[in-house]
Amino acid sequence: MNLLELQNLKVWFDVREGWRGRRALRAVDGVDLVLREGEALGIVGESGCGKSTLARAVLRLVPATTGRILWLGRAIEATSVAEMRPLRRGLQIVFQDPLASLDPRMTVGEIVAEPLRVHAPELDRAARRAAVVDMLARVGLPAESVNRYPHEFSGGQCQRIGIARAMVLRPKLLVCDEPVSALDVSIQAQIVNLLLELKREFGTSILFVSHNLAVVRRLCERVLVLYLGKPMELAETDDLYARPRHPYTRALLDAVPLPDPALQPARLNATLGGELPSPLAPPSGCVFRTRCPRAIDACASTVPEMREFADQSSGQARSIACLRAEEF
Amino acid sequence: MNRTLLSIRELSVRYSTPDGIVPAVNDFSLDLQAGECVGIVGESGAGKSQSFLAVMGLLPGNATVGGTATLGSESLLGCGIDALNRLRGARIAMIFQDPMTSLTPHMRVGEQIAESLVLHKGLSQTDAMARALDLLQQVQVTDARRRLHQYPHELSGGMRQRVMIAVALACDPEVLIADEPTTALDVTVQAQILSLLAELKRERRMGLVLVTHDLGVVAGVADRVLVMYGGRVVESGAVGEMLVSPRHPYTRALLRSMPRIDDDRTAPLTAIPGQPPSPAKLPSGCAFHPRCAGADAACRDQLPAMLEGRTRAACHHPEGAS
Repeated sequence: MNLLELQNLKVWFDVREGWRGRRALRAVDGVDLVLREGEALGIVGESGCGKSTLARAVLRLVPATTGRILWLGRAIEATSVAEMRPLRRGLQIVFQDPLASLDPRMTVGEIVAEPLRVHAPELDRAARRAAVVDMLARVGLPAESVNRYPHEFSGGQCQRIGIARAMVLRPKLLVCDEPVSALDVSIQAQIVNLLLELKREFGTSILFVSHNLAVVRRLCERVLVLYLGKPMELAETDDLYARPRHPYTRALLDAVPLPDPALQPARLNATLGGELPSPLAPPSGCVFRTRCPRAIDACASTVPEMREFADQSSGQARSIACLRAEEF
Repeated sequence: MNRTLLSIRELSVRYSTPDGIVPAVNDFSLDLQAGECVGIVGESGAGKSQSFLAVMGLLPGNATVGGTATLGSESLLGCGIDALNRLRGARIAMIFQDPMTSLTPHMRVGEQIAESLVLHKGLSQTDAMARALDLLQQVQVTDARRRLHQYPHELSGGMRQRVMIAVALACDPEVLIADEPTTALDVTVQAQILSLLAELKRERRMGLVLVTHDLGVVAGVADRVLVMYGGRVVESGAVGEMLVSPRHPYTRALLRSMPRIDDDRTAPLTAIPGQPPSPAKLPSGCAFHPRCAGADAACRDQLPAMLEGRTRAACHHPEGAS
């Protein structure tokens, strides 16, 4: 069975405009996705592309406007808060800002124990404490951390605490919303390695939201590229990075700086122009056409659907939303 | 042909805090040539921004600055606020990471660019506005005529950063200091801004200092790279050597810990254990020794001297030494 399935998921926000006007901001606009058990899937795109909103909608932290969210085959897009609570044991999240996502007045022990108090009330104090110390050790923090407060820890250590809090329930799915973006370069690698180990050890599925394409490549088996709330390309990681087929995927990869003085100056000269259009007034047809170097007249009138192809080299399935997908 | 624009010698920055004196920068020296870009790379607390805030006279009152910094024949340190104000914005300019908080929110974009032209070059308001339009076009702001009359909050992040560059370039400075200019931006916009900075440097033969934590950012624009750690320069050299075969273990480790989109993605990332030191609690000897795999007693006890070689490296056991 699929762990998670999204069917034409849309998340629109109602935005006030002018005196009485209202307009829909289409943060996520029609995403279909299947997450398999034990799989890590990356969601990438520029800021404002809807990647965080999509992750939050999966956890019901923002309501879905239309479409379905199937968790282990069961529709959860409209379940009540009370019905949702027992399911949350299997769905946990790690946030971007490691310090801001920890309550400054709680000790680290209390922070990591809280999910157990809520979801595993059958555990007594001693069992809870043992589970907490065990989980802290697993993420690389000493046992004496339990009596200390978040401000006593560095950014990287706070992120380890956030990961321990999420993993202490052994969730089936861990949603990571830009978990390494606020960290120093040397610390990012530590956290990426930790997530890889936890995934291997517990078989946890990961939905990994990030603008850092190099980190996503290390961690994820498949990658979904979003632009203005719409899916552009979904493919196996190796296929996507070696043979990007959507013009936006290609532009995104070309923009990632390489620490290589022989290659990087030339890459800078081939940069994508323009900026993300306002999500309140997305272009007609293909939303990427205003920046696309390969746009034709038809792109302005026809909305491209995600169509499935077989990768020419690996033979694996990949989906591309581009009218000219066959040509590239 | 080489003309030294900015010369910094043995710069130090110390903060007096309730917990005692905190050294943020020690013994920082740099000569910046015309038409050259120097990348300053380091993690948080390495002292990279502090060094250049000190040069620009922008540090808070509890900071003490030592050493010298000269722009041509003018001294930047201890020259008094009036002399400094004649140089800042006119001959040396700085742009910052967050273009929202560095632009004045209640002034129109055009006025902010014109301000320094009126102040430093004595232009009339009309002439200054005409020049502002010109500058906006040079930094490739689309629809420049309309943008002149807009406020910063009406612009996107990339557009604001372009406006900040236009403000900095208004008086044709010899030296531009860019402090993490693309950290807050998306990769596609980051590439646009970096390519713009590289072009401006080439065309104007400007000296460019690019402060960043990203070695990839440095690779496309910089001619030379300085790597800082714990308030000191630990290695410096030509960009080709520094990113391909650096000698200092920290530079090597930093390169290895960075995932690339073209490397072997199945190999585990080589993380650097521990975390960057806080300037208030610097380790003894070489500040990197607690995180360095090759550290020995000498590293713990003695501050390493700068060793010449393919690169200049402050290490007791640099790569390539016998």
